[in-house]
Amino acid sequence: MNSEMTMDSALNSISPLSFMELALQQAKYALENLEVPVGCVIVENGKVIASGSNRTNAFRNATRHAEMEAIDILLKEWQENELSQLQIAEKFSKCVLYVTCEPCIMCATALSILGIGEVYFGCPNDKFGGCGSVLSLQDRHSYKGSQVPEEKSFKCSGGVMSLEAVALLRSFYEQGNPNAPKPHRPVRISQ
Amino acid sequence: MGWEIVGVPGNPPCDPSIHKSTVDVIASVVEPKLINTLVRKLGQVAPLENLRHVKRVKRRNVEEQNVLSVILCPTVDDEKQLDFIPCDVLELINIHQLHPFVTKVSKYAASSKEEWEEQCKLWPTSYHPSMSTVVGISDFTEEESLMICKFMKCVIEMAMCNQCGYQGKNAAVIVDPSRKQVIASAVDQIFSRPACKDTSRNIEIVSMEDSNGSVANYGEDCYPICTSGACIQSNTASSCMYPWKWKKHNFLPEATIMKCGSQSSDSSWHPLKHVVMIAIDKASAIDRMLFPNSPLPKDLYALKDEWESKSSSLKKQKTQKIENREELIQNEVIDDLHSEVTRPYLCTGYDIYLVYEPCTMCAMALVHQRIRRIFYAFPNPSAGALGSVYRLHGEKSLNHHYSVFHVSLTEDV
Repeated sequence: MNSEMTMDSALNSISPLSFMELALQQAKYALENLEVPVGCVIVENGKVIASGSNRTNAFRNATRHAEMEAIDILLKEWQENELSQLQIAEKFSKCVLYVTCEPCIMCATALSILGIGEVYFGCPNDKFGGCGSVLSLQDRHSYKGSQVPEEKSFKCSGGVMSLEAVALLRSFYEQGNPNAPKPHRPVRISQ
Repeated sequence: MGWEIVGVPGNPPCDPSIHKSTVDVIASVVEPKLINTLVRKLGQVAPLENLRHVKRVKRRNVEEQNVLSVILCPTVDDEKQLDFIPCDVLELINIHQLHPFVTKVSKYAASSKEEWEEQCKLWPTSYHPSMSTVVGISDFTEEESLMICKFMKCVIEMAMCNQCGYQGKNAAVIVDPSRKQVIASAVDQIFSRPACKDTSRNIEIVSMEDSNGSVANYGEDCYPICTSGACIQSNTASSCMYPWKWKKHNFLPEATIMKCGSQSSDSSWHPLKHVVMIAIDKASAIDRMLFPNSPLPKDLYALKDEWESKSSSLKKQKTQKIENREELIQNEVIDDLHSEVTRPYLCTGYDIYLVYEPCTMCAMALVHQRIRRIFYAFPNPSAGALGSVYRLHGEKSLNHHYSVFHVSLTEDV
């Protein structure tokens, strides 16, 4: 864990670890529902204001990642409270996301579009991570053309309770994704 | 037709200057009668491993005489090159009393005919157009290109629909190319009303059920979607083009009421409702509608095991002959499972047509949803993920790779 995070934990009444604990609970909930176990919470002023767990299998929509679920809750709620775009943008900029796995390229772009304040993630996502693994969408300097304003970037730190996050993913992939396409060769499933 | 379908490569085109870089080799003028023997022997003792595009022999006409030069071997490094000739080559030099000299050849294979012609002035190289050029229209059958152009026209018409005017909005259709059938269609909905959305969804479902696979119908099917009001209020440019712009628009619910004539509670907006996200959402909703009794993941899981054990027995049948009735019955069991188990996983096998090249969010969403091919009409220089800013489809780490095509319009639509 880096020094930046310990500083932040001093600012928040509760440490990133306890928020990540809550995100892991969401991931476990996903696992119970035979979903890829990824979960998240969104925190505003030290309080959890939304949570989400991966629901791609339930919706047969592979874009329904935990982050998207939590974001949609907030957008709906804030609009019901008749907040304007500007107010909502302002709110997102003060939010911190805790997610068990590095946001994918899609979610990282979404978080950048919304202007999220900060992101903590658990394990890296080597295959499609958008916060350093494959692309670095949180980093404004990585954008070609380099005329990207600050609003598009966000602070991002990984490795928070990554072992726990990996353990959940491992237990899922050992039992197999029931909705994944048929492999060309039969897969031996360990009991 | 005035349309051109060009593949967008997953890897950026090489820096043109790279093809101008050269490397030193050791060569010698050789008597024509020796050439065959030498080329054969040199091929064994000093193959041109990293210079496969370079021809071994150079032929020049000097005063009506054929002068042949042959590459003896590559150089080891820049200094004292002639000191590092391999023994086997030295032996050949001594036997045939050759006079080695250092010369330059092109380091990389040419990527265009022009480059190749330039390279050959130095030393002849070979050129394989198929290796370097992108997938062209010739790779599609005439029927297929016709279908591609029609669906492309369809999305452009959707984006241009009268009610909204042409404001650079993005539109999409997801198509099952095997049946030439529209699975879902959508326009950007960063600012729109849920009521409008529902109307368009109903129309699509109807059009899907009614269609008999004829492409010509889809142009008409697209119009009701536009006039249903789904695209009212989208006065911003394509959301994939300027994804961050939503913050700068202060959306006034009153304006929507005026235009749509409904309650303000109906109005909503969503900065992530780019056309691709909506189209995927609709496609998955239709899948859930068409297969409502699809087994729960748990049951499907059991089915999978069953299917796998069956399919391995099926494989055996291919090598052996179907010998008894029991196996025939097994085949029937597989057919029964077929309808559920082999229903397309997400958008596997489907194509999507877009007016604008998608942003990274949408391009990645299409990776997740396992789309087969993406066709877009206009590149997106500010945020495009498939050729303009990024080349997501060239990222090797991704678990799915689709093909990307730029359908350019060389005439007004």
